[in-house]
Amino acid sequence: MSRLLARSGRRYLARHPWASGLAVLGVALGVAVYVAISLANGSARRAFDLSISAVTGRATHQLAAGSEGFPEGELVRLRRLFPSLPMAPLIEARVTSPTAPGRVLLLLGVDPLAEAPFRPFLAPGQASARDAGLDFAAFLTRPGAALLAADTAAELGLAAGEALPLGRDAGSAELTLVGTLAPTDAASRAALADLVVVDLATAQESLDRLGRLSRIDLLLPPGEAGAEAAARLAAALPPGLSLTPAAARAASLDEMTRAFRLNLTALSLLALLCGAFLIANTLLFTVVERREVFGALRALGVTRGELLRQVLAEAALIGGVGSLLGLLLGTAASRALVGLVARTVNDLYFALSVREVNLDPLVLTVGLALGLGTTLVAALPPALEATNTPPRAVMLRSLLEEKSRRAVAWAARLGAGGICLGAALFALPSKSLLLAFGAFFVLLLGCASLAPAATAAASRLLAAPAGRLFGVLGRIAVRGVETALSRTGAAIAALTMAVAMTVAVGIMIQSFRSTLIRWLEAVLVADLYVSSGQPGSADGGGRVTAATLGAVALLPGIDRVNTILVARTEVAGETAILHAVDLDRRGFRAFPFAAGDPSRIEADFQAGRAVLLSEPYAWRRGLGPGDELEIQSPTGLLRLPVAGVIYDYGSSQGAVILARPLFDRHWPTRGATALGLFLTPGADTDAVTRGVRAAAAGAGQALEVRPNRWIKESSLVIFDRTFRVTAVLRLLAGAVAFLGVLQALLALELERGREVAVLRAEGLTPKQVRWLVLGQTGFLGGVAGLLALPVGVLMAWIMVAVINRRSFGWTLALEVPPAALVQGVALALAAALAAGLYPAWRMARTRPAEALRGE
Amino acid sequence: MGETQRESFGVRRHVAAFQRCKAATCRRTPKPLTSWRSLLLFFLLPLLACQPQPPQVSARLSVAEALAGDAAGFERALAPRPFVFPPDHGAHPSFRNEWWYFTGNLEGQGQPFAGRRFGFQLTFFRTGLAPGDPARPSAWATHQLWMTHFALTDVENRRFWAFERFSRQALDLAGARAEPFRVHLLDWQATSEGGEIPPLRLEAAQDGVAIDFQLAPGKPIVLHGEGGLSRKSAEAGNASYYYSLPRLPARGTVTVAGRQVPVSGLAWLDREWSTSVLGAGQTGWDWLSLQLDDGTDLMFFELRSTEEAGRVRSGTLVRPDGTSRPLDLTQARWTTLDTWQSPKTGVTYPARIRLELPREGLDLTITPLLPDQELNLAFRYWEGAIEAEGTLASSAARGRGYLELTGY
Repeated sequence: MSRLLARSGRRYLARHPWASGLAVLGVALGVAVYVAISLANGSARRAFDLSISAVTGRATHQLAAGSEGFPEGELVRLRRLFPSLPMAPLIEARVTSPTAPGRVLLLLGVDPLAEAPFRPFLAPGQASARDAGLDFAAFLTRPGAALLAADTAAELGLAAGEALPLGRDAGSAELTLVGTLAPTDAASRAALADLVVVDLATAQESLDRLGRLSRIDLLLPPGEAGAEAAARLAAALPPGLSLTPAAARAASLDEMTRAFRLNLTALSLLALLCGAFLIANTLLFTVVERREVFGALRALGVTRGELLRQVLAEAALIGGVGSLLGLLLGTAASRALVGLVARTVNDLYFALSVREVNLDPLVLTVGLALGLGTTLVAALPPALEATNTPPRAVMLRSLLEEKSRRAVAWAARLGAGGICLGAALFALPSKSLLLAFGAFFVLLLGCASLAPAATAAASRLLAAPAGRLFGVLGRIAVRGVETALSRTGAAIAALTMAVAMTVAVGIMIQSFRSTLIRWLEAVLVADLYVSSGQPGSADGGGRVTAATLGAVALLPGIDRVNTILVARTEVAGETAILHAVDLDRRGFRAFPFAAGDPSRIEADFQAGRAVLLSEPYAWRRGLGPGDELEIQSPTGLLRLPVAGVIYDYGSSQGAVILARPLFDRHWPTRGATALGLFLTPGADTDAVTRGVRAAAAGAGQALEVRPNRWIKESSLVIFDRTFRVTAVLRLLAGAVAFLGVLQALLALELERGREVAVLRAEGLTPKQVRWLVLGQTGFLGGVAGLLALPVGVLMAWIMVAVINRRSFGWTLALEVPPAALVQGVALALAAALAAGLYPAWRMARTRPAEALRGE
Repeated sequence: MGETQRESFGVRRHVAAFQRCKAATCRRTPKPLTSWRSLLLFFLLPLLACQPQPPQVSARLSVAEALAGDAAGFERALAPRPFVFPPDHGAHPSFRNEWWYFTGNLEGQGQPFAGRRFGFQLTFFRTGLAPGDPARPSAWATHQLWMTHFALTDVENRRFWAFERFSRQALDLAGARAEPFRVHLLDWQATSEGGEIPPLRLEAAQDGVAIDFQLAPGKPIVLHGEGGLSRKSAEAGNASYYYSLPRLPARGTVTVAGRQVPVSGLAWLDREWSTSVLGAGQTGWDWLSLQLDDGTDLMFFELRSTEEAGRVRSGTLVRPDGTSRPLDLTQARWTTLDTWQSPKTGVTYPARIRLELPREGLDLTITPLLPDQELNLAFRYWEGAIEAEGTLASSAARGRGYLELTGY
């Protein structure tokens, strides 16, 4: 019997290639989006882990100071104090090279003799006894000697002995390639791709960092001995130098991008959810279609269990084929997506190059499991529908619609429950992003479940007006929607959900963008901005030197110079970004305060008696005015109260802002990361720009001078680039929903063939049939679009006020652009109408006699 | 370096484990999915089996041949030279390689240590990457690299420790100076108040093992070979300048397992510098120092070679009064009586050796105090405390010393 059942199932699917094909495509798209995003995320993360491990090696701990590094004498002192402890001194800097345009390389200055326990590939190789380090002679003795990964050297077209010039803020140093590193596996190849390895002496000389080191890697023994060694080391450290486990550095950088990656994953799951609705719809339809067959089978003695297994097996077939197709599609798409993800990580967080997609078997497995699992869950209601009806009742269509009406009511009740549960989850006082996404999905599903009921209500409500407006055909079209809910319910829900998402994402991006524009307008008050234009400036890298700064301040046409210096240090035990600002009243008042009264705290701030926090920093640590911060400085621990919190959309990492005079009292760093120039009234911007460039050149620096308009524009360019991934996902979710509607309407066509035939027999022209079908799909689309508006606005509010806040700590003003709403409705209508075109054409062509022959 | 190789073996092990884990999942998955349970397993296995691996980076370094260091520009040991002390106790950076090689046999003093025997080695190797000094602004720029080996043999407890350190000669981390004498790498050092050595103080400590000795004047400086020029192969210039302080009364403490043991005994200092030593076909060497009970000291080495012509032997006899002469090596025989295979590296070394010099009336059997005195460091070799028994000038002789076996 089960073989018979299986054959009947197979035959059915084969005879309805459109329905099965669309369902397969729905699953495939959902799985593909998830897989593509996960692979792209995973590859970015792996590239990141590898780049970290190339520089961290096997170190268990690291000694580091702020961005300025520390005197090399500290290493000598510590090596003498702990002569048996493996220590590797390092100098790190991000550099660019005219030979490698568009690439940020990491210059790593090492002591090869200290590297064996840490990065064995950088230690002197096997040599005959008593000839230690002979093969490293060139590397150690030639000024500017550098090593590159063999692939990188090949990409840059560099052969041994050739020059690798560096583009840097202070003059330009030149390195010479003396050898290559041949990675022994793919992971190492990725890890070494952007590394330029030089000797400590070369690093100090080419970076103008004589006498200073960036970091010391340590290998502490495990367990108690290690803890004891760490304690003895920590006690011997001067102020400003701190001991951290090596994993902490990787973890903190990883943490930074976690919210970003989670957001992408959530969006990709949404596409899968739309796909699930599609599956539910297909199977529901196939079950409804075969109710007579099932009834007959049941009457012949097929048990419920056998029937249930049969429907689920069909679902598994669709899900399996769809998921496998999805894996292929997703893997292909991930190659395109990984570039977008890497670009965003580069724009927002840190320099990272992702060259290859890492085909993580775990992601592929999870994608397959999600596809199959979602299909089976979605198939459960139709399967139960098929089995829970007594054999005779199955055969009655009226009973079916009656049941479906009850189901709609149930779905509405469930939906209301979902909305309440979602709201309750949001009300929980938590900062958990996962919880927020959970609540978001529950709420979204709740809203979608209400859609069929709302459609039914609209159908009842609008039938009479439609009749008055378009005559009996209008009435039939509108009422027909409700009577066909058993086949269209899930499609309406899917369409509503997809359109709501589109609307929500549109509103969210718009809100974000307007907030950013307002913030840029408020903050960028100076006329010209000057920076080194070098990589890593957000991390305290490229810098305008004190000499340049002095020369610029004296130029004619400049009224006042505000400066900002970015540095890294330990705050409350964690690495944090410091912004040391030298601002006049105008600059200070331009800060958009989120908390604290600017007029009351200005004096305290400028006198160095208090600090400000950027909003993401304050949010993450739960700090506000009145709290106290412990800031590690080279002269010791500073304890300062927080006076206020300012909005800052420049980074999600957050920063501690302090007055420059305070910074200068405790840090040796001079110069500035960026300057804001206020021009005297009537001064010529171009002349001043030329003057600044000339002054900088005189001080040996090449600087970027930009008008504030340029900064605003380029910020928005970066912003738009960042949201390109989001836009792509939004499009995909829309595509899945479109498939849903198309498929539901195709189902309707088959289902209603006889009904239309009767109408045709009663005198309806093919043209009228076309209008009937298009009217009906238009109504469907219109209702879904209108329903999607409030849901979309609600979702947008959640994204802006809850998910964004928990992800990045930013406050964004919700802005609902009418265009987004109109677009939403238009999208739903267009999707529905486009999906209705083919069924309308087919139905109009139906020959009444043929369709009625079955009676 | 051995260290490097060991580390990369570590990586290989790690990779192999990962592959095993992948293979295991692959073996299990291709089964037909006959039941729900197998389907579940199919999904869960990869999750359980392959925990995310921390990425490890490995690479092979290749330095362009033409740019690697060579002997060009270094001086070579071509002819005998006058030795001038104290300056010659310091470094000779115009030669590529140089070492200060301290070895010695010691005995515990006072109860309960009396009779406990120890052997020690403290060696400072200097390698010049290029002749001359670099004129560069960075304090890290240098042409001199240092490698130091510190080994201790505890005969009673049959323990042997060996440690190594590396450093460049920069920021006073390592270096050698003639006046006042000091050669050091961090806190492992040999020092003197003035330029004349001895007296000397030797200090080294690591991981609970330490030595701290005062070396008193013993016999005067001995020049080996032709007035200090020690030829290592037939090719001119493949030679070193080589002198020794063969008998330095030592007194001080040895620390093992956190316990200080007062000791006294005899140490030996070898000083050698050269630019190129080994000729083609030479594979390694055996070297021996002996301090006999009658006051005679012996130095003997043999460079092993695949060709008969490359086999070079040389030796010095130091009489009790401090005068010395080259050993007559005619019909010399160096016979391995027994071997020992290192359980750590699998390498087989000679373990008991018979040295016969018929012209000197010498026939000594040399036995290591402990078979395992293998230094499994970046460079692997065997170097350890020995005792010798037999005849010299046809009368009974016995003594202690050090044996070095390289290239096995």
